[in-house]
Amino acid sequence: MNKPENICERIFALAKDVQTEALIERSTGALTRFADNEISQNVYSDSSNISIRFVDNGRTSRVTLNQSDEAALTRAVKTGLETLKKQKKDVSLLPLAGPGRIEHGKNIFSKDTADLSPSYRAQKIKSLVQACKKAGQTAYGTLENGLSSCTVANSRGVFAEHRESCITYSVTVRDGDGFGWAETPAACAGQIDFEAVNRTARLKASMSKKPSDIKPGRYPVILEPAAAADLLSYLCVFGFGGLFYNEGSSFASGNLGKKLLSGKLSIEDYALHGPASGMPFDFEGQPRRRVVLVDNGVLKGVVHDRKTASAAKTRSTGHALPQPSSFTPFPLNLSVRPGDSSVEEMIKSSERAVLVTQFHYTNLLKPLNVEMTGMTRNGTFLIENGKISKPLKNLRFTQSITEAFRETEAVGRTAELRQVWGKLSCPAFKLKAFNFSSATEF
Amino acid sequence: MFKLAAKAVEIADKKRADFADIRVIEDRRQSLSVKNGEIAGLNDTVTLGFGVRVLFNGSWGFASSNIVSGPSIELCTLKALEIARSGAALKGKKARLAAEPAWQDLWQTPFIKDPFGVSIEKKLDLLFQTDSILRKNRKIKVSEGSMSFIREHQWHLTTEGSRIEQVLLSSGAGVSATAISDGEVQIRSYPSTHGGQTLSGGYELIETLDLSGNAERTREEALALLTAPQCPSGRKDLIIGQNQLALQIHESVGHATELDRVLGYEESFAGSSFATTEKLGKFRYAAPIVNLVADATLPGGLATAGYDDDAVQAQRWHIVKNGVLSGYMTNREFAHAIGSGRSRGSCRADGFSNIPITRICNLSLMPGRTPYEELISSTKDGIIMENNKSWSIDQKRLNFQFGCELGWLVKNGKKTTLVKNPTYQGITPEFWNSCNAIADENSWRLYGVANCGKGQPMQTAMMCHGSSPARFKNVKIGVKSI
Repeated sequence: MNKPENICERIFALAKDVQTEALIERSTGALTRFADNEISQNVYSDSSNISIRFVDNGRTSRVTLNQSDEAALTRAVKTGLETLKKQKKDVSLLPLAGPGRIEHGKNIFSKDTADLSPSYRAQKIKSLVQACKKAGQTAYGTLENGLSSCTVANSRGVFAEHRESCITYSVTVRDGDGFGWAETPAACAGQIDFEAVNRTARLKASMSKKPSDIKPGRYPVILEPAAAADLLSYLCVFGFGGLFYNEGSSFASGNLGKKLLSGKLSIEDYALHGPASGMPFDFEGQPRRRVVLVDNGVLKGVVHDRKTASAAKTRSTGHALPQPSSFTPFPLNLSVRPGDSSVEEMIKSSERAVLVTQFHYTNLLKPLNVEMTGMTRNGTFLIENGKISKPLKNLRFTQSITEAFRETEAVGRTAELRQVWGKLSCPAFKLKAFNFSSATEF
Repeated sequence: MFKLAAKAVEIADKKRADFADIRVIEDRRQSLSVKNGEIAGLNDTVTLGFGVRVLFNGSWGFASSNIVSGPSIELCTLKALEIARSGAALKGKKARLAAEPAWQDLWQTPFIKDPFGVSIEKKLDLLFQTDSILRKNRKIKVSEGSMSFIREHQWHLTTEGSRIEQVLLSSGAGVSATAISDGEVQIRSYPSTHGGQTLSGGYELIETLDLSGNAERTREEALALLTAPQCPSGRKDLIIGQNQLALQIHESVGHATELDRVLGYEESFAGSSFATTEKLGKFRYAAPIVNLVADATLPGGLATAGYDDDAVQAQRWHIVKNGVLSGYMTNREFAHAIGSGRSRGSCRADGFSNIPITRICNLSLMPGRTPYEELISSTKDGIIMENNKSWSIDQKRLNFQFGCELGWLVKNGKKTTLVKNPTYQGITPEFWNSCNAIADENSWRLYGVANCGKGQPMQTAMMCHGSSPARFKNVKIGVKSI
């Protein structure tokens, strides 16, 4: 593929005096999947996309292609400009943004990690599989690595580029009828402790064998970081997305400045630095700003693109999706402030509680109080008298997340990076009450 | 295109691969959406690329690229071979493929009106007209309408001699109105949720939906839900409408009978299944009146094609026959695990950049004999639910909970009160065994699922589920402990 800046230049020349924005994305991804103690799938893909948006006098259109030769670009621009002419004028349509000063955060690109070979992945998996076979356990999971790059430019002078590498090691282990899981995503392979991931998943599987029934109902709950991150990511998207806020379907609507969550809960979105950093600009090429969403339980701010910001009479926080968009801008680089407890201390302080490793198939039921449902998975345990007393069969929860996190009893002192809607750095939580609405058979 | 693609097959043969194939895909899609009287999306996409799959010494390798040229195909084929070799060291059971004749064919989706030939103005006019009807009340805070069209042109070449060209076409549209007032948010969609209705075919489908003709009812139902009472919790007979039944079939039968996940190959992500292979032909999955049929030849079906991405010809077969588990969705690699010499042809990939995996085919509940009106009149204490709003099911496809947009209570054979936020829960075999009536063929409808996610890397596939409304006895309604 040609260089992004050359493609942009050519597109703007073809579009002549029509305001034009180019979004050029490239990704390579390699993934080795394993199941039943052997490699089951092994893939590599290299793909690029060029998406061009035109804005002219209250009219807009978008064309997308993955070829960058002159003929393909000419055809795409022609199609986009023709589509533009066929619309009624929208007086509220914003012109393209002008350039803003974009700061760059820490480097999250490692060429070595992006280029890891299939034999590297096979070797890492082999080590787990050998240990599992020896112990009569069965390993499942993935090891994937790759890179993604993004260029946003427009004919008004915006030009922003970002690239990052990624690697995720995810392990599920079965031990009889017990299951365990652990996963670590990172920008660089050196940040992953492969042995620790293997150890955690294997230990959880062995602890989960012969699970017992428990009567569904309300229990105090200890959510390990992955479980807490799943719920809090929904809370942040549906609570702090500027469009939902404007439409009145968010619990934050009309409630900024009010303490609606536990004083132990603080969340911010920050793309430049911190544990969940990423692309420092949005899909309009605007700088992503640091936004405090919750400060000691008080709702402080929501994230906006230029359009939702205009409607809310504020400025964009740099959270636009590719425009126009019918979905809300939402935070992609979240970090939850760690507390002063450990999971072990949470267990020790619990007379009777449920410990959850991970949730499965979570979904939103009601947006206004972020009521959700989902299942526990890969390690659910009963805590009695300060100790894990037995593994439990998996449970379904149906619970308002705002209500659950209003009564936070403890926050973990160590946060883990998770990838849910976006990146989210999240510690463990102990909540006073959590509604498990039904049980399953395993 | 076949001439260019042949390079991959030649290299794989030369390197003594067990099997290899290349799929070159040109994809054209158009999406339009209107929200609150403004354009919310208008995108025309054209992509081209290829994926090479190599089976070497019983181990798979796959590589893809959007640069379609001789050197790029050569590079990708060698990359796929390198990947396959690296995996062979950790491969206990060597993959082998079920036999399939070599096919040379051209197949395309039947259609009446090419959606890409219909003007943008006409499509936008319909969406704006419908949107203005949806918004004719201040309590409707969000009105949305969308259309999407996909034409996928595939060239598939295998080392076994198959040479298949297919052109698959789908069209879809839908609208929704969200009413917000006094701390209540209620949505109503037409003709279905999750983007509306999508089927294989052309623009004629959009015309049959009559979006603007259904906008007023959609709006009024969203408004009525604002003041409707909360759905009561308790056990009731549940009558499920076709668009919700589509998702019920999808989640609790379709995914549960994908043979790769049954065998544990999806354990690390989507999970496995309770419907294990020793149950085939014996397990009472559902009541004897229940027949669920997979069909890749179904007119209008989104999984309808001449061949799957394993180059297996389209078939029709029972998944549940007279209530008994009778079949699985299979690919060529796993078909032998159930003693089958031939795959059912349920192996598909998301575009050129993904490896084909086992997918749900079109899967439909066969109609019963009861007229729909009689289904209601013979129900003493029940509830009708329509249009999915939320969905969740456990990792073995047993415990599920679905929420719907609206419910109607049924008392002594009469549809009485509209209720909001209805949900129901169940355990899959218990639930399907409680089915005690299925409406007749007059109310049989086909609904599309256009965004089924599965696999790692995540792939999206499309399929359809047809049904008539069906009644299930003594189902747990609501979320309170009962």
